[in-house]
Amino acid sequence: MLNTHKIRADFNILSKKDGKIPMYLDSACMSLKPNSVVEAMNDYYFNFPACDRSLHKLGSTVTKKVKEARELVAKFINAKNLDEIIFTRNTTEGINLLANSFGLVKGDVVLVSDKEHNSNLVPWLLLRDRVGIVVKIISSNVNGTFNLDNFSKLISGVKLVSIVHTSNLDGVTNPAKEIIEIAHQNNALVCLDAAQSIPHRKIDVQDLDVDFLAFSGHKMFGPTGTGVFYGKSKLLEKLSPFLVGGDTVEFSTYDSYKMLPVPEKFEAGLQNYAGIIGLGEAVKYLSQFDFEDIVEHELKLNSYITTELKKISGINIIGPEDPKLRSGIVNFYIEGTDMHKFVIMLDEMANIEIRSGQHCVHSWFADKKIYNSARVSLYLYNTIEEAEAFITNLKKIIEIL
Amino acid sequence: MPCLIALIVFGIMGIFSASHRALAKEAFDCIFRRVTFRACNTGFQDKIKGKILSKIISRSTFLAKMVNKHYEILSWIFFVLMIGSTVYVLNGGYNFYVYGSCNGLNESGFCAFDPKGENNKTTAVGDSTCGITQNEIKNVTLNGVELSSFPTQNTGSEDTVVFIGCYACDYSRKAYPDIQRLVEKKQANYVFAHYPAKGDTTFLGNAGYAIRKIYGDDAFWKLNDYLFTADLDYILDKANLNAILASFNFDVKKVNELANSTETKNMMDMEIAELNKTNLYGTPTIFINGKSFVGPKPYRVYNSAINKFIFF
Repeated sequence: MLNTHKIRADFNILSKKDGKIPMYLDSACMSLKPNSVVEAMNDYYFNFPACDRSLHKLGSTVTKKVKEARELVAKFINAKNLDEIIFTRNTTEGINLLANSFGLVKGDVVLVSDKEHNSNLVPWLLLRDRVGIVVKIISSNVNGTFNLDNFSKLISGVKLVSIVHTSNLDGVTNPAKEIIEIAHQNNALVCLDAAQSIPHRKIDVQDLDVDFLAFSGHKMFGPTGTGVFYGKSKLLEKLSPFLVGGDTVEFSTYDSYKMLPVPEKFEAGLQNYAGIIGLGEAVKYLSQFDFEDIVEHELKLNSYITTELKKISGINIIGPEDPKLRSGIVNFYIEGTDMHKFVIMLDEMANIEIRSGQHCVHSWFADKKIYNSARVSLYLYNTIEEAEAFITNLKKIIEIL
Repeated sequence: MPCLIALIVFGIMGIFSASHRALAKEAFDCIFRRVTFRACNTGFQDKIKGKILSKIISRSTFLAKMVNKHYEILSWIFFVLMIGSTVYVLNGGYNFYVYGSCNGLNESGFCAFDPKGENNKTTAVGDSTCGITQNEIKNVTLNGVELSSFPTQNTGSEDTVVFIGCYACDYSRKAYPDIQRLVEKKQANYVFAHYPAKGDTTFLGNAGYAIRKIYGDDAFWKLNDYLFTADLDYILDKANLNAILASFNFDVKKVNELANSTETKNMMDMEIAELNKTNLYGTPTIFINGKSFVGPKPYRVYNSAINKFIFF
């Protein structure tokens, strides 16, 4: 069981003595940062702000720290070796890397779900327009859960399945293992968008047998502008990098070049060393917790909020009714109401921070003809008192609007 | 429309506050998008409404409900009130500049720029105390008042300044140097009249008349300047009069004889009777080209009046 009180002490913003402490319920967008992550980044800037692979002492320290971060990430997702870990800016860059390096040609089919974040939809639609690939959409069940039957019907002839693991729209976690198994049986490769799942549940890439995996650092206590793209070694070697230049080649002449092996050939230009080191620290921080405890904690809060929201007439929760199926996310809307108002008022009234809008899943909102929604997203530092405050203030707002 | 209102309101408030400047910028962005046929996607309107409602809801849910329901109309009401009060403030500022009072010439209501009403204070005529007096300013006039017997300077000028003051009145003493400065600068036709509004200053008026009669206007003006600038207690003490006269090398005996004569008394009575025709209610009362200024106004007010800078 999580000791929330102790956890909150690790976050400056949640334990400061002066000023209002925010009730931060927007971790699906961005998690808060533990002090250790900020300190690790400061350590880089204060004590060894040099380039990776320079031979001097400062450079060696950077090389060592970046390698440690790569090892931590590899261990965290149980990658077979370090070369499978490519540092990116975020999930979006990881998926774009795949889309532009995979070598898809006209007629190749890419399968995505109907609840994809723009970062796992637009790159494929762009390829459709540029090279003529075919993008097929898997329809979810009415309650938002994954429809394996629909998936099975569409999988034949598919080159790549690129699918969200846990949806930022409704918190539903797709059955990755089954999807991957079916895809592999049909000679399709699978890329998982793990941006929302990796902060909340254990991901074992070998156990899943997933081919590619992309996630961001900023949702899992890491710094902004950090992310990871994982790929099986043999597959990464076949990919042709789309961003090249500094740090990606072993040597070059005026008319030739020799690429470095993975992961370097995908990490073009000077890297965000402070961010990578901070990401390593974030992985270290997250690794101290048992993911079952995190899930249990989020479910407890989600259950309370769901129960209370159900009592309020006019509120529609997006996704399954059962909070067990929605991770730490409660996304809701009121027919014909602009949910931005709620967010502004909650913030002004009680310093409660939630997110409103279409959460980068515009396609889903357009299809369902819903203007926008308000999303509560929980993490291990949230408390039942915060959930109660959210409900109390929400009721007040509903009463006046 | 609330964006337009917000732009004006926050634009004005932004002059004084950086946080409101940012809101004004947001409102402008919203309007700019509208006039360029794009949707206002800043959420500005909701943001402002949300901020207002959140403040109210913590005090009264009912009130917040009402405000939410009638938000648009309330916006308009407050907008009109704000425009009204802005006009009022601007008018007050203008009045203060040209009249020395926010409420208009010689109006003694509260003025934020002159909270103590210093520019309207007079020594009440017929009263022995100084203070703010509220009288019928519209009746104060030079019409039908014969001023030819009073000391005069710069005759023939197109501008005329008439100063009715009392040697013992603090407010007359305050206004006197400004009037002298104005007269000197503009070379205006200047008429001075002493009105004994406070204490016993008749003997000083009588002495002034005698000096003028015996030594001429120049000698009078010198004495007059002295009486308005010297220590008040000293000049009000009758025992000091002879010393004062002597200091100007006047023939003390001769001056006293004339000052105490029936001729002087009659002349003074006649002048007071003439001054009473102006319906003045306090000193100083100053007429600049016929317009009355009651109380010691700032110099710029007199200057504006003579420059015909007053529009309303």
